Amino acid sequence: MNVESLLYVLGITTVVSPLALLACMGLSSLFGIKLSESVVSKLTQITIATALVPAVAILILMLATDSRFVSVDVGDWVSIPQQHFHFHLKFIFDRLSVPFLLLSLVLCGVVGAFTRRYLHREQGYNRFFLLYSLFLAGMVLSAVAGTIETLFFGWEMVGLSSALLVAYFHERESPVKNGQRVWSVYRLADAAFLIGALTMHHLTGEGDFASFVGSEPWPGGTAQLSSTNALIVGLLLLLAASGKSALVPFSGWLPRAMEGPTPSSAVFYGSLSVHLGAYLLLRVSPVLEASPLLQWIVVFVGAVSAIAGSVMSRVQSDVKSSLAYASLSQVGIIVVEIGLGYYYLALVHIVGHACMRTLQLLRAPTLLSDYHAMENAIGGRWSREPSKFAMWLPKDLQLWAYRFGFERGYMDAVLDNWIVRPFVAAFRWADRQERRWTDWLSTEPSRESDKTELHPESFAEPLPQGIKQHASQA
Amino acid sequence: MSHTSHSAHATADLSEAEEIRGYIEHAIHYLPTQGPIKVFVHHNTLHAFEHLDFEEGVLAGLQVFGCEPYFSEERYREEMSRGRIRMEDIEAVLQEDLGEEADRLVANSGTRYALRLAMLRFPMNSLPDRELQWMLAESDALWRFRDEVPSSLAQKVIAATRSMVKNQLASTPAIKIAKLKADDLQEFAIETSERWTQATWEAYTLHCLWRICRDQMLDANGGSHSSASDQVPLLGRHRVLLAKATGADSDALVNDVLIRFMAAYLDQGFAAWEMPDRDDGLLRSFIKLYALNAAAQPKWMDGLIAELRRLRSQKADPYELILDSLNQLGVAVEERQSFIESTLLALRGWAGMVWQMESCAPWTPRPAKPGSLVEFLAVRLMLDRHAIAFIAREKMGVKELAEVRSAAADLCRKQCESSNSTAFAIFQIAQACGYTLEELHRLNIFQWKQLASEVMDFNSLERRRILHLAYERKYRSAALDAVKIHSANRMQHQHRSPKPTAAFQVITCIDDREESFRRHLEEIAPECETYGAAGFFAVVMYYRGAAEAHYRPLCPINIVPKHYVVEEPVFSAVDENEKRSQRRRMIGHLSQRVHSGSRTIVGGLITGVFGSLATFPLVARILAPHVTARIRSSFGGLVSPPATELHLQRETPDPGPTYESLGYTVTEMAGIVVRILQDIGLVKDFSPIVLFLGHGSSSLNNPHESAYNCGACSGGRGGPNARAFAWMANDLNVRKLVSEAGIDIPDSVQFIGGYHNTCNDRVEYYDLDQLPHSHRKLFRSMESSINEARQRNALERARRFESAPLSLTPAEALQHVEERSEDLSQARPEYNHATNAMCFVGQREWSRGLFLDRRAFLASYDPSIDTADGKIVERILQAAIPVCGGISLEYYFSTVDPEGHGCGSKLPHNITSLAGVMTGAASDLRPGLSAQMVEIHEPMRILFVVQTTPAIMQRIIRANPAIESLVVRRWVQLALLDTTTSEVRLYRDGEFELYRDGLNDLPNAASSIEWFRGSREHLGFASIGNQQSGVNAASGQTGVGL
Repeated sequence: MNVESLLYVLGITTVVSPLALLACMGLSSLFGIKLSESVVSKLTQITIATALVPAVAILILMLATDSRFVSVDVGDWVSIPQQHFHFHLKFIFDRLSVPFLLLSLVLCGVVGAFTRRYLHREQGYNRFFLLYSLFLAGMVLSAVAGTIETLFFGWEMVGLSSALLVAYFHERESPVKNGQRVWSVYRLADAAFLIGALTMHHLTGEGDFASFVGSEPWPGGTAQLSSTNALIVGLLLLLAASGKSALVPFSGWLPRAMEGPTPSSAVFYGSLSVHLGAYLLLRVSPVLEASPLLQWIVVFVGAVSAIAGSVMSRVQSDVKSSLAYASLSQVGIIVVEIGLGYYYLALVHIVGHACMRTLQLLRAPTLLSDYHAMENAIGGRWSREPSKFAMWLPKDLQLWAYRFGFERGYMDAVLDNWIVRPFVAAFRWADRQERRWTDWLSTEPSRESDKTELHPESFAEPLPQGIKQHASQA
Repeated sequence: MSHTSHSAHATADLSEAEEIRGYIEHAIHYLPTQGPIKVFVHHNTLHAFEHLDFEEGVLAGLQVFGCEPYFSEERYREEMSRGRIRMEDIEAVLQEDLGEEADRLVANSGTRYALRLAMLRFPMNSLPDRELQWMLAESDALWRFRDEVPSSLAQKVIAATRSMVKNQLASTPAIKIAKLKADDLQEFAIETSERWTQATWEAYTLHCLWRICRDQMLDANGGSHSSASDQVPLLGRHRVLLAKATGADSDALVNDVLIRFMAAYLDQGFAAWEMPDRDDGLLRSFIKLYALNAAAQPKWMDGLIAELRRLRSQKADPYELILDSLNQLGVAVEERQSFIESTLLALRGWAGMVWQMESCAPWTPRPAKPGSLVEFLAVRLMLDRHAIAFIAREKMGVKELAEVRSAAADLCRKQCESSNSTAFAIFQIAQACGYTLEELHRLNIFQWKQLASEVMDFNSLERRRILHLAYERKYRSAALDAVKIHSANRMQHQHRSPKPTAAFQVITCIDDREESFRRHLEEIAPECETYGAAGFFAVVMYYRGAAEAHYRPLCPINIVPKHYVVEEPVFSAVDENEKRSQRRRMIGHLSQRVHSGSRTIVGGLITGVFGSLATFPLVARILAPHVTARIRSSFGGLVSPPATELHLQRETPDPGPTYESLGYTVTEMAGIVVRILQDIGLVKDFSPIVLFLGHGSSSLNNPHESAYNCGACSGGRGGPNARAFAWMANDLNVRKLVSEAGIDIPDSVQFIGGYHNTCNDRVEYYDLDQLPHSHRKLFRSMESSINEARQRNALERARRFESAPLSLTPAEALQHVEERSEDLSQARPEYNHATNAMCFVGQREWSRGLFLDRRAFLASYDPSIDTADGKIVERILQAAIPVCGGISLEYYFSTVDPEGHGCGSKLPHNITSLAGVMTGAASDLRPGLSAQMVEIHEPMRILFVVQTTPAIMQRIIRANPAIESLVVRRWVQLALLDTTTSEVRLYRDGEFELYRDGLNDLPNAASSIEWFRGSREHLGFASIGNQQSGVNAASGQTGVGL
């Protein structure tokens, strides 16, 4: 067996094993087969091992043979030549994807092991691991995607599993609401991504990264796009990345994502999926280079996010929101690094930051005893001098900046008031016009749905009503 | 809100402010009393209702907090089906509950007792109206008798229908069945009834039955589908009616802002940037912060800015604001009290924390300013007002705040539904009791009314109450039987031979978790004796360890210590200690840097880039927690303090925190020693070694860690108390004074202090260097027995952990529990008091060798050395009843309603403000116990078994209000044991009734392990080993191998 076919087999194994786990978990749920906790955790362990070992082997082989680029081409998944449509599956292993792949596998593996005990006896144990396997498969696919459609495929899986994990405790109201909020922002990002991908297809006729960023291994390569085209595509992809990485102005969802069990918050929003936007920018870095204006926009978005994240993180008084915004400020810096062209630094930064933040989030419930231990070691109260950051600011601005952080950058309100409200209002207006028109045509109220009564139980049942029911239950 | 209405009420006169203050003070009683979670003390969740009877108190809890009083009916029914509740328990409880009413005839169709029993025996579905409609139309409710009805009974009823139809068809050709309208039963062509199958007859019977019930109930109610629900009360918080009418929840809007604000205001030092002007108080800082021009804010807050701007320039008085809000909201004067109460309870966790921080937490880094709770209410009402106005405007088009409730009520009324629920209940009962159609026909309207009111009276809550009493009765009977039989056996043999001195004596806390430890130790070393005393061992102190920064109280929460004790390095190691503490300080500063630095831009950049290094601890700690912990502890030697001693002896007259005034005088120490030895009845026959074991618990990733520690030490670790006590009891000057009090401690007796970690089952001993050579051999043999007991104890604990295989050996079990305490991902480091159910106060002699399944607090007490009126037992019970009762009740409520009274699942918990936990991203603060802590708990009121006489106990009850309210109001159960006759008397309605019924034999097992091996569930009682042995028969034998 020569090196190439060995690499091919290893590459396929790495990608297929998470998909196999997803199939196991998904099919067993679909057919109502209840897997026991130990079976689920065994399966997860095996999957991580069978994905991680080949990935490491690929790394070693690549180092040994000094190759910087390995591509595993599976061919077209769907191909409709008449429509000029094809969904091309191709995986690439290079200096960008291998570290990110290893990072994803290690962190997912650790969190899998953590969750095995943490969610012990939990009702939704299997549901968690189903979503976990979806997430894992999505991360692996995104990491090694060689075409933009493959990347989008993985990206969607990550988004879906993340939103569902936010809503993991679906018997309470706020996780579901917040999950939906995350999902809405993700959809916005997805739409931008999809349009970007289509535009790219349109411009180059292919979704293969090699075709529009050149065949040189990452981070070399030059975009085969004009500066204007690069700006358009790049802006769309930046929008996609901003939604996924919670950059300004989408940062509002990040603390809301802390509704799920601690390990999912840790690995998904704290470390992996929040870096996926940055990863996308790294992947298409030659496109950024094609337009200096675009680069400056990227730097700007990154810098604003970093500063906003840092201000917001300082102000939060609960540990998970604080860590979430701390993540944001680092992701912002990573984006700045990308905009400035320091790709290797950005990659190292992603890996380091993800590991550290995962550890911090997993340890979040131990905060009190950590503080206690630190105070004991220092031998006094935790000293809190007035924040240096705040001292730089003039007095008037201090309160304003505090409020900015406290209100989480007003970002939720901005999106709600300036985008959602006008949007909804416009459609309601259209609806009213339509009703007026159809009523006029039919010379009577034309909508049957208006007459249906709302089901009384569909209202949130307020508390004293509940009491009354108890009392009158016979 | 219009400006005119504001200025009209702007000047609240003084008396009105006083009135509001009174209402708030009243509402405070309902707020949770859990302060910052660092100090977690178990207490009765419904302490506010302790002046009521238990059954009334839990209902009050339902009304005020909306939290469940008992398990659900389904849950009790599950317990019935697995035998945890027996039919005989239900019958006995029901009979007792009804008393003379039991035999009252109801509607000529049976006794009240029979009716209620039927309602208890068969599950009663009570459904919302829509679901009922669906059920009748779509399910087989009208086609088949319920599964629970015995088929013979069903056959009887069907046969009766058959013969009735036959008779009627024979007599009158017209198809008219009594009061039924013909068109109702069109689907059954009665002419063809001769050819009907059995199934058709069954369906026909049920259809008739349902229609009779429905129509008769309609008649009985005077023609309308009655139910209480068509009067929509115009009282209460606007939010309730508004949510019902529009589906929009104003609290969701308000809480989003208020929770964040309160978290920042109460922050104990987590956020790097403290709220500016926090010291100006809650209201002022809120006004300052929110009067700012915001870039964008939720629409509903639009009106708020203008109002806050106006307030910013003047001196805002919270009472004035509250009155203003109440008036604008149209709250009448009579309604004010309940309105304020329910408004404060809307976020009761936060409101409670504000109150705790302003009233009882001067020791915290950032206590709240006095008056914060009032300001909290003012802010809350202001926000409520704007949110309500917004929703009313958007969803209902109502502009005037005062009219919101009536407008919403109008909307609700339109949605109100008729209800057939009573009829459906009777329908179900009729099936269960086997009422025939004819019997039902014969009832007149008065009797139907009577039947309906009977059914309504015995509603779901009442049924759950009875089921709960039966649930408690089953366990109580088993426990009292076991106590009677076992103590009789023990005492018989006790009298035969005199007791030799025990080889060693071990005193632990009375904690239920020490029960199994003591039992195993006694099994392994039959020559030893064990005792139980409240785990602070009468050493009331503020204590600071050598490596600790702050004093913390180590005594029950209701005592304020006067004495300060410090752990110091021994004199020769002072320099070494200085070196190590410098290292500690260095590491501390470093970790502080990393901790806060990693959340800033620059610091984060550095830590981020080097963050890959975090992979090693991350992977290691999660994949191999045990090994990692060992490596960490081996490094710990470099920084932990060297040999230490307690600074215990004081020469100056007054105790205090300064160096000279640390510790106790000899007289004070003698008092402590005498007190404890008298309490536990150890005043003679001392063993050469007397070991005192304090206890605590260590676990990772557990915000509730302090709840697992010793309750008698305010959630601290009791090791230092044991150490201090042993030091005092060894001191010759102290002993001199102690012997003057009549307790002679021979010179050959050595006291040792120790610490038992109930999570990893480790035992440490203090100051062993002081132990004379003569005692060292004995110490080693005691140590090996204790080591064996640790393993067996770990095994007994591990059987309850589903993740520990049942096949573990004792040594593996010990390793398993050690791993649990070091595992970051472990949500159940130990089960804490989850199995508590009883408390024994008396000599160990009668309970020794009884398998109690870690369910009993064991306090030692010897009546023979007590005064005639029971002074000693009184002081034991003064602590034991409120403390153990509090633990039991907190577990009770967190178990029956984990979301309402407890803090829900700990998986999404989020530590906030360093003061408490929220669920997820933002929620009310959650006091109470987590679902993971209580999942195996059986909620029952604790059963005290006290070895004393009714006369003494009655005197104690009368003399101690704290005991009186718990016992007389039935928040705890109380029984007395007379060891001479082995008679048990149970407290009931002010009297101690002789407990008669019960079994006569108790299972026997060779060892505890044999009894519990292979089982995960709660286990019954058993006598362990040969009960003739005891101390005397097996002396000299150490350690029973497995």
